[in-house]
Amino acid sequence: MMRTSFNPLINPLINNEGISGLLFALGIALGITPALFFIPEATALNILTCEPEWKALAEQIAPHSKIYSATSALQDPHHIEARPGLIAKMRNADLAICSGADLEAGWLPLLQMKSANARIQNGKDGMFYAAEQIDTIGKLENVNPTMGDVHPEGNPHFHLDPYRLMTVANALAERMAKIDPNHGESYRENIKQFDEQWQKNIRKWEQEAKPLKGMQVVAYHTSFEYLFQWLGISMVGDLEPKPGLPPSGKHLSRLLKLAKNTRVDAVVYASYQDKSGAEWLSKQIGVPAIKLPMSVNDNNKSQALTSLYDDLIGKLLKATKSNG
Amino acid sequence: MNNRCITKTALSLAAFLGYLSTSHAIDFNPNYSLILDGHYKSEKSALSETDKGFGLGHVELSISSPVDDLFFGKLTAVLHSHDSKTDVETEEAFIQTLALPGGLSVRAGRFLSDFGYLNSQHTHTDSFTERPAVYRALLGSHYFDDGVRVSYLMPTDIYWNIGAEAFSGKKLRANNIKDPNSVGVYNFFTKIGGDFNHEHSWQIGFNYLRNENGTSPRSHPVEHHAHNLHQKHHDEEEHHHHDHHEHHEKEHHHKQHDANLQHSDGNHSHHSNHHHDHHHCHKASYTGKDLYGVEAVWKWAPEGNYKYRHLSLSAEYLQARNITDNKTIKSSDDKHDGWYLSSVYQFAPQWATGIRYGEFNGLKLENDHHHKNSLQETELMLSWSHSHFSTIRLQWTHQKGKGLEHINDNIITLQYVMSLGAHDAHQF
Repeated sequence: MMRTSFNPLINPLINNEGISGLLFALGIALGITPALFFIPEATALNILTCEPEWKALAEQIAPHSKIYSATSALQDPHHIEARPGLIAKMRNADLAICSGADLEAGWLPLLQMKSANARIQNGKDGMFYAAEQIDTIGKLENVNPTMGDVHPEGNPHFHLDPYRLMTVANALAERMAKIDPNHGESYRENIKQFDEQWQKNIRKWEQEAKPLKGMQVVAYHTSFEYLFQWLGISMVGDLEPKPGLPPSGKHLSRLLKLAKNTRVDAVVYASYQDKSGAEWLSKQIGVPAIKLPMSVNDNNKSQALTSLYDDLIGKLLKATKSNG
Repeated sequence: MNNRCITKTALSLAAFLGYLSTSHAIDFNPNYSLILDGHYKSEKSALSETDKGFGLGHVELSISSPVDDLFFGKLTAVLHSHDSKTDVETEEAFIQTLALPGGLSVRAGRFLSDFGYLNSQHTHTDSFTERPAVYRALLGSHYFDDGVRVSYLMPTDIYWNIGAEAFSGKKLRANNIKDPNSVGVYNFFTKIGGDFNHEHSWQIGFNYLRNENGTSPRSHPVEHHAHNLHQKHHDEEEHHHHDHHEHHEKEHHHKQHDANLQHSDGNHSHHSNHHHDHHHCHKASYTGKDLYGVEAVWKWAPEGNYKYRHLSLSAEYLQARNITDNKTIKSSDDKHDGWYLSSVYQFAPQWATGIRYGEFNGLKLENDHHHKNSLQETELMLSWSHSHFSTIRLQWTHQKGKGLEHINDNIITLQYVMSLGAHDAHQF
């Protein structure tokens, strides 16, 4: 009873963490000692995810955890700043879940260092890189700077491949059970349910998406590569002249020329990508421009991942229908 | 005179790197980065380290890697070309703990002090070609030193970091200090920050730096011999050339400067007072026993997507107190201070523009009197980044003020900053 009454007061300040002697001393010094006597017991995990898809996944496996996503579906996870707010979140995390494969190279290392949290450093059980659980596509042996913003460790947007996602989910459940053995049973139970449901969904999606096989699109380089591979869609043109560079006028006219010789069914871009080039091109070619969600958004909590896939397939199907 | 500026050949560093890349140390897969930074500047400007014409900025080579699961290490070597000599300076060589319990971390070695907002950031991430005037005057552009830092991050949802640093303080030593304390500088700081939401982030900070060797002593009558000689010289200058910048420029040619210093042997001469030490040694030219700083930063990116557009506003105020033992200075005058306000807007993935206004007011101490120096600086910047790794910047600087050399109405600088190798993390 004590806990429930004090939780709203304490939680914003102290995140379920044991207080070391030093903090205690500092607390006295700063005159906030009274607040520190009521420390809530550790209940579940405190989780920071780099991308919202991992937040959605963690919610499936550990619904009673405190989970925060560092980015939203509207943000390009390549371009995030190691903001003070994120450092504070990282400071208190028992587990950090990130895509890896260098996707967060611009900010995650700084968060890890500045957060001074031993649990989430590389090599510790509290740092979970999804890319380490699966095989990425598009790995590069030799990378040089003229190639643009490429990922030698392969394409990091594998959450749009339902099979790889499942592999990651199972590994994540095991990891959660390892760092929080008290709730191990519940994590295993939850992942079993999720797995069964997900298999059913995969069969459903593959049935629905049959008309998409053979579709030819122009898109931003690697964003939807896994999705396209899974659904049999081929990417015939890349909106970026080089990975990481915005579509230039010259590059767009080259794509327009390409569209004269090659069938293009649609121009595809992600929720956080610049739409102007894509829309210009789609008008010129006379095919729909499809804005696809790169990840889950906050609207749809319980079945976020399922509705993300429903949404992706639905939007692609709609475009083919309006075309045909 | 500043023994940090050891002139070495760049070759040994290159050989060292070559060795690292061919040796088969287990799990040694560090990040290498090389920053190329060069510019053309139309005029020399006040309190600046760079000259008119073509020049190199911070050409730096850095290697960093976790050492093991407990330590992280980083080395940054900076190359300066100056008077057809190349200096290699170690700007950072530190280790930092990664796994101390309870939000504590310790950094030791040589590193950038966490005083203020800009100081801990690498200059190549700056939005303007040089640091604000107040930084150039009071911190020698950016203050790095040998020492140790302990910081503690509170376990709060709001970011709240408190820390203390102790440094040798050689770069912040007042001139003519006899028998300086070997641990000269203690810095205490706190930074508080957070997000209003995904779009808006903020941070404020408070700093207090104690500089045991920061107060300029009075001149010493025992050394009248050398003193008089320079006094004479000084008077001459007072009478004939005091406002002529060109003359000062000549005065500060290295050769002559060194000769003067040898002559005066660390005593109070006009020239060492104006000390332009070696250009790239970043010694503060205005010091005091107590240095206070406040900082505030606010950043906004539509939908939190920094790639396409974002705006950042930052401001800092610095004040140095107890600057001299000289009794001729009234207590209300006994300070240097300055501030800046900067706004940078990245309006397209490849384009950014910015404006910065800053002021510095300081006292230049002579034997028995002082001059009030002041500088007001307005800067406008436009930059284009082809990719993440390459930036070209055009800047217009307008300076006003008095008592300083090379105050110039209009200075145009064209600069490039390119980074090869691992990309630097995006610090807030």
